Amino acid sequence: MDYCRKQVKSDCEELLSRFQQTESVRFEVFSKIWREMNFSHIFYGTLKREKRAFSRLVLDIAYSFFLPPFSFQIRVGGLYLLYGLYQCQTASPPEQIRLALKDWDDVKKFEKDAVDAQHYDTVYIFRKLMSLKAFHFTAMPTLLAYQKKRKVERSALCEDFLERASRPQELINIELLEELSNIHGLYEKMKTSVSSISEQANSSVNLIHKDLMPRLRSTVVHFYNWQQRKDGAEEDEDSGEGTSSQQECSIRAERLASIKSKAYGQAAEASKSRRHRQVEVDFTSSEAGPSNTPGPSRITKPSLKARTNENVHISGDVWQEATTTTQINRLTSLDSVPEGTASSHTSEMFHTLIHWTLFAALSLFCMLTCNMSMKLKA
Amino acid sequence: MAAYSLSTDSTTNIPDYEYLDVNTKPFHIGSFREEWLSRLKAGNSSYRHEDDDTFDANFAKEMEVGVETMTELRSVCSVDSLRCHPEDQQPDTDVVPADSTLKTLEQRKKRQDYKASLKVTKNRHDLYADELERLTFGRKPGAEADLVPEGEVILSINVYYPATFEKFTYVRPHMTLLMTGSHTLAELRDAICCVSDLQVCGEFSNTPDMAPDFISKDHFKSAFFYFEGVFYNDMRFPECQDISITTIEWAKTRNFPSYSQAKMEDTRFVDLKVKVGFPYLYCHQGDCEHLVIITDVRLSHKDDCLDKKLYPLLTHKHRVTTQKCAVCHVFIGRWVTTNNQFAPSDPCLFCDKCFRMLHYDADGNKLGDFLAYPFVDRGAFN
Repeated sequence: MDYCRKQVKSDCEELLSRFQQTESVRFEVFSKIWREMNFSHIFYGTLKREKRAFSRLVLDIAYSFFLPPFSFQIRVGGLYLLYGLYQCQTASPPEQIRLALKDWDDVKKFEKDAVDAQHYDTVYIFRKLMSLKAFHFTAMPTLLAYQKKRKVERSALCEDFLERASRPQELINIELLEELSNIHGLYEKMKTSVSSISEQANSSVNLIHKDLMPRLRSTVVHFYNWQQRKDGAEEDEDSGEGTSSQQECSIRAERLASIKSKAYGQAAEASKSRRHRQVEVDFTSSEAGPSNTPGPSRITKPSLKARTNENVHISGDVWQEATTTTQINRLTSLDSVPEGTASSHTSEMFHTLIHWTLFAALSLFCMLTCNMSMKLKA
Repeated sequence: MAAYSLSTDSTTNIPDYEYLDVNTKPFHIGSFREEWLSRLKAGNSSYRHEDDDTFDANFAKEMEVGVETMTELRSVCSVDSLRCHPEDQQPDTDVVPADSTLKTLEQRKKRQDYKASLKVTKNRHDLYADELERLTFGRKPGAEADLVPEGEVILSINVYYPATFEKFTYVRPHMTLLMTGSHTLAELRDAICCVSDLQVCGEFSNTPDMAPDFISKDHFKSAFFYFEGVFYNDMRFPECQDISITTIEWAKTRNFPSYSQAKMEDTRFVDLKVKVGFPYLYCHQGDCEHLVIITDVRLSHKDDCLDKKLYPLLTHKHRVTTQKCAVCHVFIGRWVTTNNQFAPSDPCLFCDKCFRMLHYDADGNKLGDFLAYPFVDRGAFN
């Protein structure tokens, strides 16, 4: 069932991002979007066993939106999504939502926030799910079977859904600033009382800026403004107007890519036709190109199939040679010729030998496959 | 069990990832259950269904909302508000709706079209799996005493077949069992079916009727589980031996962390301290080794199979291809012969019927010269 994980996730994100744009946490708003998107249809067309597996997958994905680090609004959307999916699933008896013990505190806190803010519909739906026994109280959100991944896929969290960092603003509020300025005043007083003897000593204990509080305040304000600006910029991108500098960048990248592909394309062509003579020219040309090309991504070994295809191509050339000259004589004479005398000849002979064996193997293979297909037909 | 005292620190028994999406840190299953139960209200884990009216009444009381708000809330949050089709016509849920904007459905449509183009339509494995599910889902016990108690833990355990081939990385043949927390490890052991328990050692060409009396299971009863530094030995029978001692002694001489022993039959799952998702070991018949992974631990639910008698409950079974008799190609091989003048190959497989017809006369006297060994197919449990 894993094959459709990406698609399901993007569908859920689509629904939630529409919900986010409404800047509401009302269930009627959510259900309107749900109906617009025909989201219940997501279960249609799953057959028999697939039903249960698909319900499991889609509930697991929706569950992740119900937890931090997403913003409160998205989590409300996640809860509604869970409710909708749970109620509309086609598996019977229904598949449950897996609630992990470690997430319980987050869920409880969420419920409390909703109660405090008097979002009755949110609380109602959460309690309703509870009363429907829609939850499995589990150890972990998914079943674990020690599936180690070779390639760790960083599943990108949808950035827009994340809660904006607001700790600096929360921490440094007016009271704290006042408190701090009081302490600072006391501290200054003590310092002067200690070092009233000379002005010189005074400067040596000046470890803190005199204008600590205004500075702190202005930094936080600056951070907040920057955050606002950044959000603004993102919205601009959403509306489709890319900034000019970005366009320039992409044009440059495209140009670089085309240059690169040209350079490598030539090298590949040259080497294909006479591989046995080992082309070694094109290193210089590629070095002359843009020097800031990324290193590791460039070295890609072609697949075994591709390499075989290439080899077959070469042996085709040899086949032509073989028909015109008496290769077999040469091959048999190779054994009898002493090594010293035939030094100039040997390398060429060696190549032909290799090609010949390749060819022989190939023809054998062809015969075999022919036989096989004949048998199969019979 | 004896090796671990109950942890007093509460946070250690809240399972969390050791490696993300791979396995958890070790936790005590009994305490995990306590943690959940202490957090939940009485109704949360019960099997009883709360009817809508009492739910609404309770909600209104607790949140202090009026009757009007309550009716509005009820209608806004009803399931009908999510319906995506006209009220009077029920859509066909087996068909992928055309012209949908959902990416999942676009993909599913493509997949179904592709599958329809294939010639093979039925999948035997799906049929078997459906059947297995039907047998167990939502079963209620006949007698009250057989009911799985509310708030019991249910573990889902994968037992893998011993396999060394490379394909194992992609398909991991295993069986999945559901067990409750009050089960002992010995009960898990009895539920694991493995052909090496059924093997019969010896040559029986002279007395083919004697063969079934010599199953390995009855001869070699020792076995152990290994979880988190403890070997749990099966000591139920007088002929059982502690076969883990070899490993323990070996480890001792090589400065490994010390291992301890306990009895399988005295250890319940709630007494265990384990990592979920982590591979452990089951070893029987001396060297038949199975990986055991506890994939899930959770509280029981009203839709689970609640009949105690049906546990350990088999929910998944890997089915392997069976090797057929060389004569009839219909029945599964039961005998393997060598040095056989009647056989086309050496060794050769026969089903019981063909074997007897070919090698014995009407009175059961052995004909010709051959050696015959009982054969148990890997797919014997299919």
